[in-house]
Amino acid sequence: MASSWCWNCLSRLRPTPRALLPPSATPRISSAPFHSTAVHYAQPAKKKGNSLTVVKHRQSTSLRRKKKKVADRGGRPPAVGERKALRKRIVLSNPNALEIEGMQELSPETMVDSRLRGTVLALPVPMIDQLRAVQAFKPKQGWSIFRRPGTILRRDTIEMGRLFEQISGDADEAQKGKVVKKIVTGMKGSGKTVHLLQAMAMGFLKKWTVITIPDARELVSGDTAYAAIEGSNPLQYVQPGATSALLTRTVDANRELLASLKVSQNHPALKMLKPSSTLEDLAKLGFSDPAVSWKVFQALWTELTATAPAAGFEKGFKPRPPMLVAVDGLAHWMVESAYRSAEYKPIHAHDLAFVHHFLSLLKDGDSLKNGGLVLYATSSSNNPNPLALKIALDRLAARQAGISASSPEYPQPEPYSKADTRVLELLQPAEKAVSPLELQTLGGLTRDEARGFMEYFARSGLLREVVNDQWVSEKWTLSGGGIIGELEKFGRRVRATVSASK
Amino acid sequence: MAPRLNLFTANKAVSALRQSTTPALSSPRSIAIPVRFRAVQSLPIQRRWNSSSDKKVAPQPDEQTFPTADQLPDVTEEANEISRIMDKEKRCDGVPSSPELEQGSPVEEILSRDKDAMKHMPKVMRDALKKSGGSRSFSTSARSLMNDLHGVQPNNESDIISSMPGLEGASDEAAAALASMIEQVQGQALEENPGLKFDAPVVPEDLKTLNFRKRYDTMQDQFTKMMMESGKLTKAQKNMSLILDHLRTSSPPQINPRRRLLGAPPASQLPLDPVLYLTLVVDSVAPLFRIRQQKGIAGGGTAVQIPHPLTLRQRRRTAIKWIIDASEKRRDALFANRVAAEVVAVAEGRSGVWEKRDQQHKIGISGRANLNTNVRR
Repeated sequence: MASSWCWNCLSRLRPTPRALLPPSATPRISSAPFHSTAVHYAQPAKKKGNSLTVVKHRQSTSLRRKKKKVADRGGRPPAVGERKALRKRIVLSNPNALEIEGMQELSPETMVDSRLRGTVLALPVPMIDQLRAVQAFKPKQGWSIFRRPGTILRRDTIEMGRLFEQISGDADEAQKGKVVKKIVTGMKGSGKTVHLLQAMAMGFLKKWTVITIPDARELVSGDTAYAAIEGSNPLQYVQPGATSALLTRTVDANRELLASLKVSQNHPALKMLKPSSTLEDLAKLGFSDPAVSWKVFQALWTELTATAPAAGFEKGFKPRPPMLVAVDGLAHWMVESAYRSAEYKPIHAHDLAFVHHFLSLLKDGDSLKNGGLVLYATSSSNNPNPLALKIALDRLAARQAGISASSPEYPQPEPYSKADTRVLELLQPAEKAVSPLELQTLGGLTRDEARGFMEYFARSGLLREVVNDQWVSEKWTLSGGGIIGELEKFGRRVRATVSASK
Repeated sequence: MAPRLNLFTANKAVSALRQSTTPALSSPRSIAIPVRFRAVQSLPIQRRWNSSSDKKVAPQPDEQTFPTADQLPDVTEEANEISRIMDKEKRCDGVPSSPELEQGSPVEEILSRDKDAMKHMPKVMRDALKKSGGSRSFSTSARSLMNDLHGVQPNNESDIISSMPGLEGASDEAAAALASMIEQVQGQALEENPGLKFDAPVVPEDLKTLNFRKRYDTMQDQFTKMMMESGKLTKAQKNMSLILDHLRTSSPPQINPRRRLLGAPPASQLPLDPVLYLTLVVDSVAPLFRIRQQKGIAGGGTAVQIPHPLTLRQRRRTAIKWIIDASEKRRDALFANRVAAEVVAVAEGRSGVWEKRDQQHKIGISGRANLNTNVRR
């Protein structure tokens, strides 16, 4: 039906503005006026549905947020030791990294070759298990990004290689059987632990006996069992669990060598030993029974340092090889341990028989009869920083520099500072030292060595920069003069290429 | 081509064209312009870009006009006007502004195209046309300018030189010498970098990379900061390095052909450049827009979904947020491993983040129709 209104007229029709309407005299009533009952007397309207927003009696009315639902991750914490295993996991290979062509392996020949200085040498594959057994690799050392583990041949490494040759008697017969004792220090990231690793690798290459303590802290942190040795004065304590672990490590790493050596001394404490048993058998006695592990260790030590067989054991005696003793984190042995005596006094670390045994190697006298190398490294990432050790090392450096103990420049503990006298005495040499203790301070790489190190990253495909002298020099400076740990950070820090960041 | 025609300002052109000095004859303003245009002459002159500013120059005391004075300028005033145009009002490059630029096409030109108008042209103008013999120092034709614009021929340098201000009087030999010098320099430049006339331009991105003052890549930095909780940046950076190491050491992703990464190298190369890997993953699942819920368009309080474009950083932010949210559902105990596994899942096309992106794009495509609607008041 046609309307009498046209569209235009309709669209012009607008609601009358509110202001034009007369103001209503009465206030607006929101409820419908059908019932005579006042609204206030009516029952409150029931809410529909089971709403969660119903405010209960005496419930806080403040803002309630919905809690984020956390995903169920198994419902219970990981099994005992699982987290630690994850934390200590060591990965030595990255199949994605490129294989480096013509990469040389560490061998008795290459480890002293000064032409190879600044190149990265791969660790031989069969040796890796041995190094794992002595816990030479540490979890945060970044082995996991390369195709195979390798270490750089720096000046200190080549010098150490020559030392190994001398002691083994390959180069100079007169030097054979020498004992060299060193304390390795250096800044954080300067490669002290890897220096120990290189020493272990060389020891395995030269068929030495390698005995290591990968973390000195574990012996004093109060984690393993301890017991007093009756009748000792001053009272000493043994740690059967730690000793057992050391025996296990030593046998795993040196199995071939120990299996070839026969028992050559009398061991009245170990009745079950036969004259035909090997040193491996001897060490294995300590695995199963921690109670005898300390005695087994002492027996093993006398066997390894024996120069001649006792009476009745001449048959099948082989001369013992030199020994490498490596300890990482020496500073922990220079403080009071976490163990307590029966009087609940803290036990000094030097009173632990295990620690005492290894610290006595630093003292004068040929404790290693067949020669060898004693390498004790400090750590700067986990360091109790004892005052006495600092003074003792300063004194060591002063003696090396030719400052006599009577001169005023000789470092002295500050008055009223409680420097531990036992530590100061330990590192104080006697008058005529047979094999003086040395202090070896690791510094940075040279620029050439740094270039070789960065090229290793580039050739592994991890570093995408043009490695030239200028670039290396820049990084060398930024790394505090070639501190290798800092250089490694530059090597593995990636920046996207220009095209990717667009 | 429609000629440029500006009848509002034609009177000025004609006054410039006028050569007769008799005031009686010099009244083309009333003759040449149709009657109906006279009323609008008081309108401001149409503004033309690239011309000198049309701000009123304050009249000098001797140029002041009075209401009783004659409407038409006398001879000296006219000469002053011309000299002002020629000398004082110069463009920024020093070339005197031509009336044509200021005022549009001259009437003369219009008449020359229109035969009918030519017939009825006033006699004065016909005489003027006959007399004009190109004695003017500048061209009034619009065509000539167009030719200049088009004519970028390699060997018109001498023209350029002669048209340079201050060199008009220079001899042809000097111009030729200068031209040959320019040619020589350009030849050398061509020899140095073949294919390029000048040095290769430095792309801004390259410059930025060379002077990169930041330790981390932009995207990596953004991702790291989005993982940060309670302001613990170092912890977030540690997590990021764990993620990058995971990407570096895990096996190359099996790329789903339906969900490829944008502009990615072969999958086997990705683990060697973990930052690129991460960037590609984030950029590939980044949505192009967000969905804005706009009320008041449909009426009745219903919100309408309107796509709204995002910048690169915003797009990445959305993608990173999606990835971190999706990683919450994983069962791995370590946060870094959860995120890294989610990144790999995105690269392999298994992640739910892809569905999120698809959904967002679907809504956006259907919401395109709402883009031009206005809010009802």
